Amino acid sequence: MTHVPADELESLALDELSRDRAAQVEAHAAACPQCAHELSWLRAERTLLTRRPLAQTAHLWAGIAARLRHPRRRPHRAWRISVGAAVAAAAAAVLVATVRTRPEPAAPQTPQATRQQRQRSAIDPKALAALDRAEADYRDAAKVLEAEYARLRPRLDPEMARRWDETLTRARAQLGESRAVAADDVNVRMRVLDGYAGYLRSLRDVVQESEEANP
Amino acid sequence: MRIASLQGEVPSARDRHSDEELLSRACAGDAEAFRVIFDRQAPGVRRFLGDLLRDDAAADEGTQETFVRAHQRLPTIEEPGKLQGWLFGIARMVSFEHLRRKRRDALPAAPVDEPVQVDRAPSPEALLLSAESDRVLDGALAHLAEERRAALLMRIDHGLGYGEIASAMGWPLQKVKNEIHRARLQLRVSLAGYLDEGAR
Repeated sequence: MTHVPADELESLALDELSRDRAAQVEAHAAACPQCAHELSWLRAERTLLTRRPLAQTAHLWAGIAARLRHPRRRPHRAWRISVGAAVAAAAAAVLVATVRTRPEPAAPQTPQATRQQRQRSAIDPKALAALDRAEADYRDAAKVLEAEYARLRPRLDPEMARRWDETLTRARAQLGESRAVAADDVNVRMRVLDGYAGYLRSLRDVVQESEEANP
Repeated sequence: MRIASLQGEVPSARDRHSDEELLSRACAGDAEAFRVIFDRQAPGVRRFLGDLLRDDAAADEGTQETFVRAHQRLPTIEEPGKLQGWLFGIARMVSFEHLRRKRRDALPAAPVDEPVQVDRAPSPEALLLSAESDRVLDGALAHLAEERRAALLMRIDHGLGYGEIASAMGWPLQKVKNEIHRARLQLRVSLAGYLDEGAR
């Protein structure tokens, strides 16, 4: 038996065929188990995907309208300097930590060697100090941005402010999780710095959007 | 000829305008026409972004970014009849930029297995009746690489034609067909695996 081409079966499942052609393909599928099986999968996939409820989107318009009224600007605000300094300090700390904990040349991996390597990845005091400084700089930059957001927030559309509060809460929670597992281990401490970087990025975006909504 | 604004029209009257007409009005500066375009297209764009980004807040922000960019590029649209595909092309860029930024901070993604043919796949009807079908589908979609997932969703969930998907993805037509075929096989392997488990 000649089967119906796959793209025609797909078009039938997506209701794209003309009525006459759809009837012909249906008739073929009724007599052809292989095409019927393929058609049942195509229809199931479409049903599974399209029957999912759509998310509400009306609340997103306010943010779009605000951005259309006030196109993106790049003001030179004081907080940009704080963020830039924190990022530079973090980059330097990561460099120090990476250089000072660089692994020894590869050696046969016995359990004892693995234990020793793990001990070597414990933080060198200078790398630890650099990481502490970078973390402190990130904290300072976050404080500046949080204060800036607190200043702008009362003038924002309440729905927009609520969404941005949620964004920041989520970023803070992620940062909290990474800090909770931090110890004197370079890799874990660098993940904490990544967490700070993510939190600062969220804060920066929120402040920038707030400024654009309230020039 | 001056185009009258949609400002002041009742909602049911706005529904009568075609996409082409709305685009023409929006290009002429009618803010209300662009609002109607948003009302019509945003739910689909939001779902597409939700499926690509798998993060509700990011999908909301991506939807806003998509429509802001669309507004800036209104005069560049070449085929007003293919508004949905054009918007999905912008949304796809927005999502990939977001994922690229996110990936810089994350561990490298696990390689995605190439699909294999499901020779004796069970019948899918049981999936439609399962209370877990949404969760199973979500997991199956998560296994697809982002671009492949985007192409499949444009075709099956949003009903775009292969030509529109090719424009939105910036791919040759044959690549669109291959990627959607592979995505579908991969999706089926995951869904069939769930049905097999249920049959045991």
